[in-house]
Amino acid sequence: MSMDLRSYIIRRLLLIIPVLIGVSILIFSVLQLFSPVERAALFVRTEREMQDIEGIIKKYGLDQPLHVQYFVWISEVLKGNLGWSKVISMPVLDAIFFFLPATLELTIYAAPLTILVGIWLGKAAAVHRDKTIDHITRTMAIVGWSMPTFWLAILLLAIFYGNFAIFPPERLSTEYEIAILSSESFIRYTRINTIDALLNGRLDIFIDAINHLVLPVMTLVIVQVALLMRVMRSSMLESLGQWYVIAARAKGLDERVVINKHATRNALIPVITLSGLLVASMVNGVVITETVFNYKGIGWWFVRAATQLDIPAVLGFSLFTAVLFVITNLIVDLLYAYIDPRIRLR
Amino acid sequence: MRVGKNSGVSKAVLALAVVVVLLAGALTAVLITTTAPQPTPTTVIQTITQVTTEVLPGTTIVKTETMVIETTEIIATTEVIERVVKNPDTLIIATIGAPETLDPAWAYDTASGEIIENVYETLIDFKIDPNLPPERRGLTDQFEPELATEWEIVDETTIRFKIREGVRFHCGGTLTPEDVEYSLERLMVMDRDGGPAWMLLEALLGVDSTRDAEGNIIVPFERIDRAVEVEDGWVVLRMEEPYSYTILLQVLSQMWAGIIDKEWAIEQGAWPGTAETYEEYNNPETPPLNDKMCGTGPFMLEKWEPGVQTILVRFDDYWREPAKLKRAVIKVVEEWTTRKFMLLSGDADIVVVPRQFVPELEGTACEGLDKPCPTGIRYVKDLPTLVLSPAIFFTLDIDPNSPYLGSGQLDGEGIPPDFFKDKHVRLGFAYAFDYDTFIEDAFLGEASRPCTPIIRGLAFFNPDAPCYTFDLEEAKRHFMLAFDGQLWEKGFKITILYNTGNVARQTAAEILKKNIESLNPKFKVEVRNVDWPAYLKAMVGKQLPIFLIGWLADYPDPHNFYRPFFHSRGTFAEWQGYSNPEVDQLIEQALRENDPAKREQIYRQLDELFFEEVITIPLAQPLGRHYQRDWVQGWYYNPINPGIDLYTIWKQLPEEM
Repeated sequence: MSMDLRSYIIRRLLLIIPVLIGVSILIFSVLQLFSPVERAALFVRTEREMQDIEGIIKKYGLDQPLHVQYFVWISEVLKGNLGWSKVISMPVLDAIFFFLPATLELTIYAAPLTILVGIWLGKAAAVHRDKTIDHITRTMAIVGWSMPTFWLAILLLAIFYGNFAIFPPERLSTEYEIAILSSESFIRYTRINTIDALLNGRLDIFIDAINHLVLPVMTLVIVQVALLMRVMRSSMLESLGQWYVIAARAKGLDERVVINKHATRNALIPVITLSGLLVASMVNGVVITETVFNYKGIGWWFVRAATQLDIPAVLGFSLFTAVLFVITNLIVDLLYAYIDPRIRLR
Repeated sequence: MRVGKNSGVSKAVLALAVVVVLLAGALTAVLITTTAPQPTPTTVIQTITQVTTEVLPGTTIVKTETMVIETTEIIATTEVIERVVKNPDTLIIATIGAPETLDPAWAYDTASGEIIENVYETLIDFKIDPNLPPERRGLTDQFEPELATEWEIVDETTIRFKIREGVRFHCGGTLTPEDVEYSLERLMVMDRDGGPAWMLLEALLGVDSTRDAEGNIIVPFERIDRAVEVEDGWVVLRMEEPYSYTILLQVLSQMWAGIIDKEWAIEQGAWPGTAETYEEYNNPETPPLNDKMCGTGPFMLEKWEPGVQTILVRFDDYWREPAKLKRAVIKVVEEWTTRKFMLLSGDADIVVVPRQFVPELEGTACEGLDKPCPTGIRYVKDLPTLVLSPAIFFTLDIDPNSPYLGSGQLDGEGIPPDFFKDKHVRLGFAYAFDYDTFIEDAFLGEASRPCTPIIRGLAFFNPDAPCYTFDLEEAKRHFMLAFDGQLWEKGFKITILYNTGNVARQTAAEILKKNIESLNPKFKVEVRNVDWPAYLKAMVGKQLPIFLIGWLADYPDPHNFYRPFFHSRGTFAEWQGYSNPEVDQLIEQALRENDPAKREQIYRQLDELFFEEVITIPLAQPLGRHYQRDWVQGWYYNPINPGIDLYTIWKQLPEEM
């Protein structure tokens, strides 16, 4: 790595700090639009708990002025304490690490599949413009993009699990869950089931975990691939019309080389941006898919936190999101430079 | 430029192709191996002998023809499939709500209670009568000893419990009377805001909190210490004033009174048991024993994943016979379709079925737990609940700045803040509600209609209590009398809120709208939904002219209902701005009365007053359902239990019993 590149990366990473401060102040200010009683609703989930709302507001300082609450929070954050997530009864930092592996596992399988299928179909559609494959992919894109995710997820669940009793929901079957629990030798390295199963040499658990992953991954790929495919197609069409492609053809190069080497590489740039966003949003949680398949990930947790005004959880999750997007953007920028030498990092 | 070298993309396409082929292969393989066994076609050869008789004039010819017919018949294989119990020693429950905490001194929700009551035990428990059918087996008014072997009422204010010997805790210790003293004192010492400690505080010390409205501690530790003492192997409870023993025993039979191991709890960072640390451990921000458990119950905590699932495992050193189940997994599965398929496939043994989805299982599940069912799914219905939900509450002094008052005057464009102070208005609303249609629409008929806060299943329930009926003529008469006839002339516009997603409250609001607007074209009712936080805010802030909410029993005694509904310091009555010294006095008198006959008399008086005052109209006491696989045996119902008692359950096919 050259010095230039290293300092570029460090500078970009340092940017995270002002981003985090900005994000937290913004969210804090928005949350102040809710009254103390509304924010106390988080602590009053059942009718039984309604008797002591005043006490709850006092105890958690919900009626303190904005800056007081912010400084209390930020001083705790600096001590490494992101607060307590009331919706799932654990510290926010623990909650992020608790739910992240499930979401990562989905992303590990769904994101590469989506990107590869999207690029491949988009390219094919552009190369064979107005041919059968173009029409098919166009229809697929419309159907995939306009189909409500929950509907697709329930449909897949009904067909495979309901009808054929295969590809069950959740992350593992109960018998394997208990097998892991009662086995003393099984080590949870990553809490990503498929990886842990392989590291422990348990093929049976690996297969079971894959079985459970099929439907949520399928749902994600069907829904997400549509956009990527369309972007790839138009980007590819654009680069196929460029002078350098014509020049390459005129030079008598093999058509495959022209397409793969010259056109595709240039067409990939917008697709990389989109893929970066796609991966980041997948790591950030895919709420509906996670809910239907009872696949409890980070998105599932955040939606509950947001609807119940679980402020420490909302803030913690937002900071996590901010870090995630800054890093993803950095990776995307580095990839640009690799793909297109005309782009220089400064 | 190198020609012919594959770009990264081509490699990716190749990789993709491999993945697709692998996936397709796996899919096909799984489909082939796991699809239900197909009926086998069998070739059947039949020989048919046909005899025809021809009668010709003079002769009779008998022809015999033999035909060989080859047919292909489908012989059903369903009869030969042998049923097996899935996960035979593990019970899997798919439910909706997740436990908030595992700390018995903090928990106040039923999902936490389901776990806590299977892991922690109490001095006494509600009695189970094995001679009754499962849906009525759990009693709410009789007790049996659990960690106490006996109890004795010493005098008006003293009760003592003999502690069982030789009981082991899950983490190794042995139960002592000091553990009991510590556990009950810790509940009162912790006394978190909005938590369950008020019940024991009220019974023993006559206060409902250890703090005043400002949060300052007003109950010295000595009072808590004196209330629970150990004396010669007995634990003695002393009440500062006489209080209903029935209620005290009911409070002591539930999750918040669960007994924990004192040494273990202190090691985990809970209250050290000393007077000096009382203030420090009072009203903590988070539950000290949130994710750890050490009780004496038939099950131990094996794993808790908040919001996801709880796994309990059998405790083999249990003081009674160990449980029949090895494990129980209680999963949170929020999506109904997913839960349904889990029940149908046998991956879940018991699932929660919300009322609106009941029709989806019609024709699939069989009623009754004792009869066999071809689909393997059974249910019981009409389970009485100790829930009064919803009720219509009228706010007597609405906040004048409420956004739900419209013009704030009696001019047809809003309502004045004292709108419901006029009794005729309240009566008009009461007679304009179609009670039967409401129960049919919102509960599919599976609810009964309570007339007073004393619902069915509580002591002193009065089936003949006075009740309002749906009578539009009567409603019209009262609206015409309201505000000396001005209301009828000028009309009004009122907003009724419900919290988003609550079908019952929405239905009730819509019924009021339809009927009231039909009486007079100048009467306008607007129905709006808001999220729970906004709803709560408006309700507590006295901004809602009418609010709809429900109540779930803390303990099965009429006091637990009459106080929030009718006492000037009760949760709801306070928001409504209702106060009647006669009512307050009667409620307090009934609480301290230990003679059932006299108590009943007081509650009859309160029933009459409740009817006359019309500040609240109870609408429904829902009836529950229970769905399970037919291989689940030993289940029973007790309306006061927060969840399923796992100890009595085992899994076995009904045909093998």
